[in-house]
Amino acid sequence: MRLLVIEDDPLIARSLEHALQPLGNTVDMFCTYAEAQAALAHDRFDLILLDLGLPDGEGLDLLASLRDRGDTTPVLILTARDGVDDRVSGLDLGADDYLAKPFSLAELEARVRALLRRSQQRSDNRLRFSTLSFDPTSGTATLDDTPLALPRRELLLLEGLLLHAGSIAPRETLERRLFGFDDVGSNALEVYVSRLRKRLQNSGLKIRTFRGLGYRLEEDREPGRAEGPEDETA
Amino acid sequence: MIEVTGSLKRRLAVWLLSTVTGLGALLMLEAWVSTHRAAERAFDSQLEAAALTIAEAVQWQAGEPLVEVPAAALQILATRHQERVFYAVLDAYGEAVSTNMPFTLQPEWRARVADAPSALTTDFDGTSWRLYGREYDSAGWVSQEPVQVWVGHTRVGRQALGDELFERTLSRFLAMVLLAGILMAMALRVALGPMRRLRRQLRHRNADDMGPLDARVPEEMRELAQTLDHLFARQRHSREALLRFTADASHQLKTPLAGLKSTSELALKSQDPADWQAALLAVHDGADRTSRLASQLLSLARLRHIGEEGKVAPLDIVAVLRESVLDWAGREVARDHDLGLAELPVGPLWVRAEGWAIRELLGNLIDNALRYTKAGSEITLGLCQQRETVSLYVEDDGPGVPFEARERLLQPFERGGRQDTDGSGLGLAIVDSIARRLGGRLSLSERSPHGLIVTLHLPLVDHQCDQNATRLDDPDATREAPP
Amino acid sequence: MIPLRRRFAWMLLLPLCALTISARAQVTPLVVEAALDHDVVAPLLEAFRRAHPEIDLEFHDRSTLTVDALVSEADPAPDVVISSAMPWQMARVNEGYAQRLDSPAARSWPAWAKWRDEVFGFTFEPIVMAYRLDLSKHMMPPQTHADLHTLLTTEQTQLRGKVTTYSPLKSGVGYTLFQQDARYTPRFWDLVAGMGRVNASLEANTRSMLEGLSDGRYWLGYNLLGSYAMVWAQEHPEVIVQVPQDYSLVMMRMAFIHRDAPHPGAAATFVDFLLGREGQRVLAGQTPLFSVRPDVVGPYTAARLRDQVGEQLYPIPLNASLLAFVDPQRRKAFLARWRREFERSRKVSSEP
Repeated sequence: MRLLVIEDDPLIARSLEHALQPLGNTVDMFCTYAEAQAALAHDRFDLILLDLGLPDGEGLDLLASLRDRGDTTPVLILTARDGVDDRVSGLDLGADDYLAKPFSLAELEARVRALLRRSQQRSDNRLRFSTLSFDPTSGTATLDDTPLALPRRELLLLEGLLLHAGSIAPRETLERRLFGFDDVGSNALEVYVSRLRKRLQNSGLKIRTFRGLGYRLEEDREPGRAEGPEDETA
Repeated sequence: MIEVTGSLKRRLAVWLLSTVTGLGALLMLEAWVSTHRAAERAFDSQLEAAALTIAEAVQWQAGEPLVEVPAAALQILATRHQERVFYAVLDAYGEAVSTNMPFTLQPEWRARVADAPSALTTDFDGTSWRLYGREYDSAGWVSQEPVQVWVGHTRVGRQALGDELFERTLSRFLAMVLLAGILMAMALRVALGPMRRLRRQLRHRNADDMGPLDARVPEEMRELAQTLDHLFARQRHSREALLRFTADASHQLKTPLAGLKSTSELALKSQDPADWQAALLAVHDGADRTSRLASQLLSLARLRHIGEEGKVAPLDIVAVLRESVLDWAGREVARDHDLGLAELPVGPLWVRAEGWAIRELLGNLIDNALRYTKAGSEITLGLCQQRETVSLYVEDDGPGVPFEARERLLQPFERGGRQDTDGSGLGLAIVDSIARRLGGRLSLSERSPHGLIVTLHLPLVDHQCDQNATRLDDPDATREAPP
Repeated sequence: MIPLRRRFAWMLLLPLCALTISARAQVTPLVVEAALDHDVVAPLLEAFRRAHPEIDLEFHDRSTLTVDALVSEADPAPDVVISSAMPWQMARVNEGYAQRLDSPAARSWPAWAKWRDEVFGFTFEPIVMAYRLDLSKHMMPPQTHADLHTLLTTEQTQLRGKVTTYSPLKSGVGYTLFQQDARYTPRFWDLVAGMGRVNASLEANTRSMLEGLSDGRYWLGYNLLGSYAMVWAQEHPEVIVQVPQDYSLVMMRMAFIHRDAPHPGAAATFVDFLLGREGQRVLAGQTPLFSVRPDVVGPYTAARLRDQVGEQLYPIPLNASLLAFVDPQRRKAFLARWRREFERSRKVSSEP
């Protein structure tokens, strides 16, 4: 995993380097537009962290030229400007995520992880999250490399959750994936979610419910702790 | 932006000029016609007199009319303009008894004159002539046949008189226009005096003088002066508010900075790595708080002083709410809270608002709720549709805010009496500013058994006809990972 | 006659001069039809030819009636028309045969001596009585019209056949003068009756009357052109010229440029010369036609004449009233009355 960080502030650059290195990544640091452009011309990266206010150019221009070349490398924009226009034009130009300074390193790490996962999926064409893996071409899922035999709807649900791995899979999206446009009861999805939950018990993974929003596949960091949302009350 | 669209003076002058020109042209046309008609009448009466004089000289001898043309008649005809003259005395059969020129008198003229005396204008010999004919019944011993007396002259005098009269009218009119123009200019100068004085007063005003105007102005300018006064008052208030805000803000920033300073100083004096660790933690929290404070201050300042940006397109608040809550729920800060969405009304609900404003507002409300409630608390966002408004609410099951503190909560730097969190106390002030900006209203209420409900009431927009409004993309689509 | 010889000399010399002076200049012809004695006006014509060698002036001296006829009948039309028959000139102008002259001299010409800026009275000729020197042996010579009337009544036997005047029928000038006389006083008809009583001879022109006076055929002449009479009297001392002391008519020669003048430029130059200071100066100094202009000095000027005879000069007014004189009915009526008055007294007196 190669990361490219384009950031002109040395203090932030250093802390970014320190924060990202432990994730098991190679981190290349550049602090000017020109250097970054040169690097992008020669090498391929798995993720780019881009600061918008560079001393010799606009980060957004760099992003635009990248996308014009057809390069789909995920880009996370970092900026002190929390102006809305920046956000909109950044996303319009094809940035994958956006983080306003000041940010907490925890937030940064979470987002980087999500983007990297996506990048990786793109490379080996398999959906992965932690020990869970799904091959969309064969339609098979494995947990700890052990094949998981799942009914069709649960498989579809798993795929849906994995597609959004690390972030919330909206309920409507999942419903459409499972049931098409059929009119189903409001509890129908919940039934399949609880079935899948049972199968994932003690796998170090859990499905968290977000009221009114959807579900998220996440690592069960504190397996001993009982959390309210996991109660099947919804 | 001040756009100068001509001067008042010029505008008035143009109006005056065009009015005078238009009316003047009509007036002059009328004057030309009437002066020339007057000239015709004046000269026609001389023709009449001459005809009469000749008629007097008609005598009958042996049944034949006989006339010795009186010299005086010819002089009357010639006038002082020395016209060429014509006379003819015709008998009952239209034969000339006496004439001085081979003028052809049309039979229909003679017929007309037989009924009533009449004058006519005709061309003869390359010159324009005015002829006058009249029939006289003369009594003789033998016969009583009528004779027609025709007289005429060229029209030089008439034209000269008409032109002269017209010229006189014209020059009088022009003099009047000139005089009116001068008076108008003077009146304008006097009338615009208050405007000039006001201008001078404004120009000599100090930059920081926001006091009311001291000017005597006419009725027409009262509104302007009052508006100016109101503007000054508003600016004064806004300036004072800004000063107060800046002072508050710098005070607020100074406090955490002082904490940072003293903590780091203490840590530097210590030799114990445990102290360093503790101090670094404190510094980290302080920095976090300070940066958050700074960005909130910025956003509040911007909100309060951003200008209106024209008409805002309608926005589906359901979609924005769903998108925002989805965004926040996925964040690390919300990991320990139960942040959720209540059942939303079906279909889009349109409000007139900018997307960023709603997002900023929701962000602040959610952030506040996360910050001021314990981990594990339930935070629920939802929408209630009324007839013409929609209420967006955020409720939590935290400790709530005492009733008497709620109003103050909307003021900047107010934390509802709580000092135990790392909040800045600006969040609700920002929310309030946005609510005002959107033409909405913010209310705080209590949730039973405990907790706080913050509700934003926004007017709904009738959006049936507005099909091409900016539609937010399906929030799910943006979250969908590429296959 | 000396003037005649001079005239011939000039006629020979002039084309020569014109040729030599303006060898290359275009010579413009100019035809003037005039009822004005060539002998009398010769100095003026000479002066014009001197001043304008580029114009070939052709001057025709004709009777008033011929001139009047030429105005409408001549083809090509004459350039300038001059005549002493004032009513006829006036009628022609009224008929539109004249064209306007716009020049400084024309503009400043006295208003009483012009009409419409088209026709100009450019001479000032008093109408006089003339008698033989020896008349005073028989009777007191008349000084006024009343004197004349008295003489015609009291001395009718002595004066029988010895009185002469214009024939109103044969002379346009005579007719005009009698018309004008009749306008001033009704007693004029008594005078006509008186003329009839003495069987006055009616002549067609002043020259015949003057010749008769010199011959001794006539003792007394009435209504002679002063211009001719004064020149005659200078050469014939037996003729005395008397300007009537009660009133004296003044006749003007009228000139206008013909509407269809083939050479309007030359015509304008000629009339302008007549009215100009130079022309009027020649008129005042070398002809007995009297200058109208008050700023011209010479023996024959209107101003000087006024000085000599007082204010009783009555110019025949140059206005539309003249047109009445040519009205055929009026003329017929006037001539009829004239004849009636003239013949009634004659019959009375001839009947013993």
